[in-house]
Amino acid sequence: MTKQTFLHDKHVQLEAKMVDFAGWHMPVQYTSIIEEHNTVRENVGLFDVSHMGEVFVSGKDSLVFLNSIVPQDISKLPYEKAVYCQLPKENGCLIDDLIIYKLGILEYLVICNASRVDEDINWMSINSKGYDVKIDNQSHNYSLLAIQGPKADALMRKMGLKTQQDSFTIKPATIAGIKLLASRTGYTGEDGYEILFENKYAEFLWDKILENGKEFGIKPIGLGARDTLRLEAGLHLYGNDLDENTTPIEAGLFWSVPKDKSANYNGKNVIMEQIANGVSKKLIGLKMLDKSIARHEYDVYFKGEKVGYITSGAPSPTLKENIALAYVKNDKEICENTTVQVMIREKLHDAQVVKRPFVQKRNKVRLS
Amino acid sequence: MSITEKVLCTKSHEFLFDNDNGIYTVGLTDYAVEQLGDIVFLELPEVGTEFGKGETFATVESVKAASEIYMPISGKVVEINEAAVDAPELLNEDNWEKGWLVKIEATGENSEQDDLMEYEDYKEELE
Repeated sequence: MTKQTFLHDKHVQLEAKMVDFAGWHMPVQYTSIIEEHNTVRENVGLFDVSHMGEVFVSGKDSLVFLNSIVPQDISKLPYEKAVYCQLPKENGCLIDDLIIYKLGILEYLVICNASRVDEDINWMSINSKGYDVKIDNQSHNYSLLAIQGPKADALMRKMGLKTQQDSFTIKPATIAGIKLLASRTGYTGEDGYEILFENKYAEFLWDKILENGKEFGIKPIGLGARDTLRLEAGLHLYGNDLDENTTPIEAGLFWSVPKDKSANYNGKNVIMEQIANGVSKKLIGLKMLDKSIARHEYDVYFKGEKVGYITSGAPSPTLKENIALAYVKNDKEICENTTVQVMIREKLHDAQVVKRPFVQKRNKVRLS
Repeated sequence: MSITEKVLCTKSHEFLFDNDNGIYTVGLTDYAVEQLGDIVFLELPEVGTEFGKGETFATVESVKAASEIYMPISGKVVEINEAAVDAPELLNEDNWEKGWLVKIEATGENSEQDDLMEYEDYKEELE
C-alpha cells in the first residue's frame, strides 16, 4: 500500500506529476523541474517532505545511547543545535544518514530518510539494549515542510517568525498562528527552514505559505528539483551515494567524523583505520565534457580500465552542464583534476574530475 | 487540418506521420513529452541507418532519466532533426512540428502499420 502525506490532495489539485518514492506517493514535479529548481536558487520554494522520518529519542541514557551509534560527538551538541551524522554498522558501512537535533537536556529529534525509517528504528532498538532510553517513532503524526531559497527568511518573518537563528539550529516558533519547530536547515544548498508540526495543520500551513509567498515568487517544488538542487550542492542521497557498502570516509564525509571523540560507536575501528590508512574507493565529482548525461550505475573508465561507477548524475540547471558523483578507485592519478570516461549506451564519454560542491552553497547563516 | 488528424501513434508513445512522398516523420506524442518533463538531451542515429519495426533508434533524456525511443515501422533514416539536437526543448514546445526526431523511408510492408492507432483512439487508450 503506497502511503500518502497529509498534503496529497493539495499535490493532486495542483496537477503535480506523482510517483512512488520510498513507499510514498509523492510529487516529482508540478510544472517543470528546471523552473522549480531555478525558483529555489533565485527566490523561494516550498517542499512537502513529510515522508521523512521523525524519531524522538529521550530518557536518562539518550545522550550516551546516541553517542554509541553515530560518529559525531553528540556530547558536544548544544541545546537547540542540529548536527549531520550517519548510522554505521560494525563494518563502518551505512544504514542511513541523519540529522540529530538537541531539543532538551535528555531529548533529541532524529530525522531520517523515508526509505530507511524501518531499518533505523530496528537498528536503534537492537542497539538500545541495556540503555534507559525511549525511541519514539512519530513519523506518522508529524508533517515536515521545507521553505528554501534566498527569500525564505523574509517569507518566514512575514509569517510571524520572531526568533533569530543560525543555520543548523532548531527553535520553537509560531508561524501563521501555529506553534511548531523551526529548523534552519535544508537539502538545497540555499538558506531556508524546515518546519515540523502536527499533521492536522498541514493543509492550512501549506496554503498560508503559498499565499504569503506570492510576493516572493514562491512555487511548490517536487522531488525532481530536490534531487538536482542537492546534487549541485554536493549533498549525498542515501540509496545512491551512500549505502550499506560505503563508509563515511569513502563518501568524503570526514568533516562529520571527529577524530577526537572518546566514546565508542559502531564501526569506529574501521572508520578510524580508514582515516589513518586511507580508503580503496572514493566519491568524486564529475562534469561531463560533452552534452551526454551520466546516470546512476553507469560505469567509469580510466585509461581503458573500469575504475568505478556513477552514483548520481543529472543536468545542472544552474551551471547548464551535466554533473555527477561517482565512486572510483582511490588513486591519485584518477581522483585529482583528470579526465575519466563514462560508459553511456556502449560509448565512452569524457568527464572532468571536479571539486564539490558543484554550485557554491549559500546556507551558512551566522548571526553572532 | 490539424496534424493529429493524420498521425498514427504507437503504444510506446511515438508518432508516425505520412508525408505522402514515401517519407515518414517520426516523433513523440504530446502525452510522451508531457510525461518526460523538461527534455534536455537527444541522441539521434546517423542518416542512412536502417532499423526494424520496434527497434531502438534514439534516446531522449529528461532531467530525471533516459528513455529509449522505438521505430513505429521499419525504415531507413533519411534526415534527422539537427535543430532539436541543438535545442531539445523544442520537443516540449512543439512535439508535432518543430520537435520531430527523424524522417525515414519505409522499408517494410504496409501491414506494419496495422497495430498503430489513430490519435483519437490513442488518446482514448490513455484514459
